[in-house]
Amino acid sequence: MKRAERAVTFTVEQIADYAEASGDHNPIHLDGDFARSVGLPGIIAHGMLQMGVLATVAAEAAGGGRRLRRLYCRFAGMVEPGDTVTFAADVTEPGKLSLSAVNQRGEPVLTKASAEYL
Amino acid sequence: MGVEGKSYPAVSAVIDPERVADFARAIGADPEDGVPPTFAAVYSLGATAPYLFGDPEAAVDFAKLLHADQEFEWERHPELGETVTSQGRVVSDIRRRGMRFVTFEAQTTGVDGSGICRSRTLFVIRS
Repeated sequence: MKRAERAVTFTVEQIADYAEASGDHNPIHLDGDFARSVGLPGIIAHGMLQMGVLATVAAEAAGGGRRLRRLYCRFAGMVEPGDTVTFAADVTEPGKLSLSAVNQRGEPVLTKASAEYL
Repeated sequence: MGVEGKSYPAVSAVIDPERVADFARAIGADPEDGVPPTFAAVYSLGATAPYLFGDPEAAVDFAKLLHADQEFEWERHPELGETVTSQGRVVSDIRRRGMRFVTFEAQTTGVDGSGICRSRTLFVIRS
């Protein structure tokens, strides 16, 4: 069975780069004091940054990003700078991928993740 | 209830090659591979969601907003330099157990009206 996998340790810089490139400047991703004021432990990575890495791994398993026709995930856990998340994509049957994203404590951060490709 | 069924104005944008390359680098993709699939977060969801967030009738408290899940479906992926048009719509707006669940959909098409992407987002707004 074809599998693609990548471990990423998220950094403050990568999160700031994603905010700039995506245009999502929500201060929970950029300003630790603001993040704590709304009950978070500090700045957290964008869910869409995690999903972006997941899609890159899915594209590798599918034979190219342009082949992806559907992508879904739930944002189930917070990712903070310094966290290492292992993203994986497995071909379960032709045209279908089962996806996962698990942090260094073994906790899933993206759940019910799947993709379809041509 | 709420703003269920409400549609927002269509917005056109050019798939900017420089921004695509920055986006690809930020997610650890190879900029040579063209438009990353989740660049739809910019041209589809990102282009339309500000209308929802800025709508006084929708009254979304941005500080209490969680992105709970996300689905993208593509008929095709846009090309670098292509002009695309996206329109957002509130599919459902439900209150349950003191929280509000807003399902927001964006449809992106090419200049000829052909389908490119459908983005479907569940936002949860804590009370």
